[in-house]
Amino acid sequence: MSQAATELIRISGHAGVVPGKGLNREFQVCKLVDTTTCIGCKACEVACLEWNGYTFSETTFDNSYQTMPETAWNYWNLIKFNEHERADGTMMLLMRKDQCMHCADPGCLAACPADAAIVQYANGIVDFQEANCIGCGYCMTGCPFNIPKFDPPSRKVFKCTLCNDRVSVGLEPACIKACPTGCLHFGTKSEMKELAETRAEQLRTNSGFQDAGVYDPAGVGGTHVIYVLHDAKNPELYGGLPKDPRIPLSVRLWKGPLKWIGNFGIIFGAVGVFIHYLRFGPKVVKEDEQESHGGTE
Amino acid sequence: MTNGWIDIKNTDMMLIMGGNPAENHPCGFKWAMEAKRNRNAKLISVDPRFTRTSATADLFVQIRAGTDIAFLGGLIRYAIENNRIAKEYLVNYTNAAFIVKEGFKLPEDGLYSGFNAASSTYDKTTWNYEEGGDFSGKTDAATASAHAAPAPPTSAMPGNASHPATLAPPPALPPNVAYDLTLQHPRCVFQLMKQQYSRYTPEAVERITGIPKDQYLKAVDLFTSVRKDGDMKKVATIIYAVGWTQHTFGTQIIRTAAMIQLLLGNVGRAGGGVNALRGHSNIQGATDMAGLYESLPGYLKGPVPDDVDLATYLKRTTPTASKPSPWNSMNYYANTPKFMVSLLKSLYGDAAAKENGFGFDYLPKPGQDCSWTHIWDDMYNDKIKGMLAFGMNGVMIGPDTNKNINALKKADWLVVGEIYEDETSEFWRAPGITTEEQKNIKTTVYRLPCAGFAEKDGSMTNSARWVTWKYAAVPPPGQARLDQDIIAQIFLRVRDLYKKDGGKFPDPILNLNWAYADAAHPPLSQVAMEINGKALADLKDDATGQVIKAGQQLPGFAWLKDDGTTTCGNWIYSGMWTEAGSQIQRRGTEDPSGMGVYPNWAWSWPANRRVLYNRASCNTAGKPWDPDRKQIWWSESAGKWVGNDVPDFKPDSNPKDHMGPFIMNPEGIGRLFAPIGVLADGPFPEHYEPIESPIRNPLHPDQSNNPLVKKFRTPFDKFGSPEEYSIVCTTYRLTEQYHYWTKNNPMNVQLIPEPFVEIPVELADEKGIRGTDKIKVISARGTYIAKAFVTRRLKPMMIDGKKVYQIGLPIHQGFRGIGEDEGRNARTPANLLTPAVTDPNAHTPESKGFLVKVEKA
Amino acid sequence: MSSEPYLLPNGRVLRYSFRERLVHWLAGFSYLYLLLTGLAFWSPWLYWIAVILGGATISRELHPWFGLAFVVGVSLMYSMWHRQMKETPSDKAWWASIGHYIRNEDDQIPSADRFNPGQKLLFWGFFWNGIVLLLSGLILWLPQYIPWNLRFLRLAAVFVHPVCALATIALFIIHVYMGTAMERGAFGSVIRGDVSRAWAKKHHDTWYEQLLRNSAERK
Repeated sequence: MSQAATELIRISGHAGVVPGKGLNREFQVCKLVDTTTCIGCKACEVACLEWNGYTFSETTFDNSYQTMPETAWNYWNLIKFNEHERADGTMMLLMRKDQCMHCADPGCLAACPADAAIVQYANGIVDFQEANCIGCGYCMTGCPFNIPKFDPPSRKVFKCTLCNDRVSVGLEPACIKACPTGCLHFGTKSEMKELAETRAEQLRTNSGFQDAGVYDPAGVGGTHVIYVLHDAKNPELYGGLPKDPRIPLSVRLWKGPLKWIGNFGIIFGAVGVFIHYLRFGPKVVKEDEQESHGGTE
Repeated sequence: MTNGWIDIKNTDMMLIMGGNPAENHPCGFKWAMEAKRNRNAKLISVDPRFTRTSATADLFVQIRAGTDIAFLGGLIRYAIENNRIAKEYLVNYTNAAFIVKEGFKLPEDGLYSGFNAASSTYDKTTWNYEEGGDFSGKTDAATASAHAAPAPPTSAMPGNASHPATLAPPPALPPNVAYDLTLQHPRCVFQLMKQQYSRYTPEAVERITGIPKDQYLKAVDLFTSVRKDGDMKKVATIIYAVGWTQHTFGTQIIRTAAMIQLLLGNVGRAGGGVNALRGHSNIQGATDMAGLYESLPGYLKGPVPDDVDLATYLKRTTPTASKPSPWNSMNYYANTPKFMVSLLKSLYGDAAAKENGFGFDYLPKPGQDCSWTHIWDDMYNDKIKGMLAFGMNGVMIGPDTNKNINALKKADWLVVGEIYEDETSEFWRAPGITTEEQKNIKTTVYRLPCAGFAEKDGSMTNSARWVTWKYAAVPPPGQARLDQDIIAQIFLRVRDLYKKDGGKFPDPILNLNWAYADAAHPPLSQVAMEINGKALADLKDDATGQVIKAGQQLPGFAWLKDDGTTTCGNWIYSGMWTEAGSQIQRRGTEDPSGMGVYPNWAWSWPANRRVLYNRASCNTAGKPWDPDRKQIWWSESAGKWVGNDVPDFKPDSNPKDHMGPFIMNPEGIGRLFAPIGVLADGPFPEHYEPIESPIRNPLHPDQSNNPLVKKFRTPFDKFGSPEEYSIVCTTYRLTEQYHYWTKNNPMNVQLIPEPFVEIPVELADEKGIRGTDKIKVISARGTYIAKAFVTRRLKPMMIDGKKVYQIGLPIHQGFRGIGEDEGRNARTPANLLTPAVTDPNAHTPESKGFLVKVEKA
Repeated sequence: MSSEPYLLPNGRVLRYSFRERLVHWLAGFSYLYLLLTGLAFWSPWLYWIAVILGGATISRELHPWFGLAFVVGVSLMYSMWHRQMKETPSDKAWWASIGHYIRNEDDQIPSADRFNPGQKLLFWGFFWNGIVLLLSGLILWLPQYIPWNLRFLRLAAVFVHPVCALATIALFIIHVYMGTAMERGAFGSVIRGDVSRAWAKKHHDTWYEQLLRNSAERK
């Protein structure tokens, strides 16, 4: 991965053009998660913790193998388990590695008001820069996958970085390295997409999963983490993977039309009152009016 | 494993049963996924619960715990009925064609011929081949008359002063076996096997296992499809673990699998075989080095009191070839004297000489069953006074934890070598023991801090028989010591005491060979070299002219001698540390054949052969069954077997000589019928019910269980009736925890913080239990308390017309650990529930498939 | 009625009591901080405002607290003035002549009470928007406590908060304009509290007349 791949292309809450945007870029990275060969072993969960230097925390049994209900500020990837019975009565235990999807069109970045708290690299990685984070949590609202999580003591939000520190020196992410069954793959987006489609085709042809497919949602411009699913028509079965994720409407309205209306309104208002003053001047009180009402009391 | 881990990627079909490799061998399971991804291999998962292995399966079949023989027996029947067998392989590489003695009776009533009800043992005389010749095409039953087997000798063996006259030696296999290559003779093994499993119809299988007929047929059809119309190209593998071994008929379950693989011609082939997944990183090494009381290193048979001297022992344990006369059998165990004498030399050094039977008298000769459950029973009955427990948490292992705790209360002393305070060393503080009671426990407990796995070097042998060297990453902390240093200290001081004080027969201790560079800190590399063996005199191979000088490491077991000129600590490991260096430290990543052989990575026993019985990967002419997966083949020009693996065979044996591929068997063939001397409870596996079962055995209700299983008689050896305990219970392990020690590790405790019991949704509804409610699981022996895990992955089953629930619980939590010490769980070990009944061959306890009842806590 | 400002001895009229002025500035200054930090979070072009106000993180920290201060201010204003801010029948006529008001044709405007309808609009505008800003603000203050299945609350808050803020900004622009440049004497009324009688009569005739009547009655 060359330096060019890690140039910034988008910066949250930033005034002006992103420096260097638009230059010719190299390939984008992608993590492929093949849920059909995941065994839910959680090596990826532990590898992520260890690489990022987080300690282990207390958890509770909640009628599932799942370690905790959702990702946490210090638990960036989580296998979600779902027992699913198919129409023909056969059983499935769906296991999906849940983590930041590194969207091409990230909702977190769109919603973030803080300059450079969230950045997107040319290689597709969306990274939080906690030094610039103001802890407002808008990213949590902007994300359609419920990924970023808030840490009250530091008042910052955290999520998977797609091991940006490893990727930028040519290594694969920690989770990829730890996965024992080779269910996780890492490479360029085009390579991973091709691998995923091949696998999905294999599932349809040879394993009786007619609806097998690749999850690479267009609503967020595609993602840099893609899934092979046994049933691509029902992604919600996989621990609540949203079927058609998009940047939420309210965020889009706020950052889109409302911005324009608001900015215009303020400027128009300020200019308007100035022009009013030029045209009509102030309301003046005639003091002689006052005298006629003075009187003795 | 007959094959290996990486070899699994070569398979077309996997039957994973009695095992859950996705959860318990996740790294090895990668190869199963490779087979699926790259070869479209199919995976069939048969298990009492839908596991994470089942989640990746093409077909999952839920089975009642303990009914695997019914399933597999039915599979044999299906394969035969539908001609899905490897005919040429069957006739030539197995004993299908061998004719069995008259008088042999199949167990339609649950008993084989020769059962002695008084002693609960079998006289196995009839479990033998007929003496004779070629009876191909002759099916008359009067074959025996002309070729009667020699009558067992009735005269007693000459005794000596210290050993009384002994019984006659057991009957032997006839050297010249009667056979019928057409497989039609009514007493040929093939016909007997067919008859044996004719009772295992899909209806019978449904009654016993609870698997609906159509589902069962789908599974057996799929598995046997590799041999459709006898096509030999495809390969199937059977993969199992302790879901098969932990039953009172566990050995026989595995036997059934071996029979299936022989019937289908999968043994010896890449991607095939019978593959045990060992449950610990070096348990293969442990059993190889005789961690079992009945064997000596290298699976030599352990001596018994009747072996009055070395000669008697060798006569008993050295087989002679037994085969159809035109065939050849290498009968490699004919070299037993060489293995044994070399072992004795390594044990006793110069004190082992021809004159004293090489120190044979120094070996202990157990006159009773000394297996695991007997140890605890003997301790409870005051016969065992003390115990050294190294990395072995007997209280947690059970079975019948309460019995083990109460046994320890009676012991004089207990030494525990561990890396943390385990339940065994804390037995006196088990929940339920009051401070008053503690005052009455007189056992002295010594705790020796040991080194952890990352602090020790040494060798590890994995399930695939690959022996690798590992290096210590960090030194042991504080006062912790390496295992070998502790053992050395104990030995040296005991020896000194014997030297000083004398004692009853101190010779084995005083004469034990201990020639290490540093006696108190034996370097394990020296131990490894000792195990490999070396020449004690100059040796010469007349055929090749090769010379080994005295003091040199031996290149392999072919150099072992029975005259005391070689020493070798374990013949199967000979070759691992030669003059060329440590083979087990090799890290060559080349795999020229692409079949996962990696011939230069580490070293596998025997002789770096990766797939055992690989001669059987070729037809009788020496050509591979599948040209795309060539392992070894006969090269006419070279006059030997060549290929991508080391031949597990006599290298220059021409296929025309019809030498059997199963060189360790005296017959040279793979056994469908296991004759005398092999198994305690029958030449063919028969379905027996677990000792605690919800039903009587539909095949023979009057002999429901394995007739050789004995029950102990302490107050803790209680058994429950199905009327009171109506639920079948199994125990298992999870990916996230490893046995009983990871509950001390925050990482594992984070992933699985609390114990739980998996119960079916239907059972939960019946009892008003919701997920995470605390519940009690109660057996006749104890109570386990944990949170309910209400799941759809365990469905109720119809067993012989009766609705039966199955539940399962992981074994990892006990009464000492991170969660335990914080009071976050009820501190009840899972093995409080399990019964101390064992398999009569391997002595493994029946930890799966016992009866319980369930209540809200 | 007890806090009715009096006609002052110096010939001026007490428009706003000390308490009223204090509360106004409590609300006013806190609103200023909210406006400035809010604008910083609204637009990347104005982010520098938060930076110079002690840092963006501290601005995010303090914005909700100032919001609470603002809510206290508005609540006090409500308790002080809501009766006088009620819509009365004369308001309609006043709004009908808004054109005159804008063009400063003040003699054409009907009389106004203590608070003219424009001020009433301002008051209620801040009150209602204030409530919505408070509720949405609470959600935005502690979004980590709104679980995923109630995320519609966060999604609504993130939109509604700036919408209401913009509404208050519109009102604010007009309010500041009028209070400083547009109406001479208005600013002083909220600093020193008093206005001239002429001012009172011109802008809040009905109120002034009432004052006179009260004082006359008192005599």
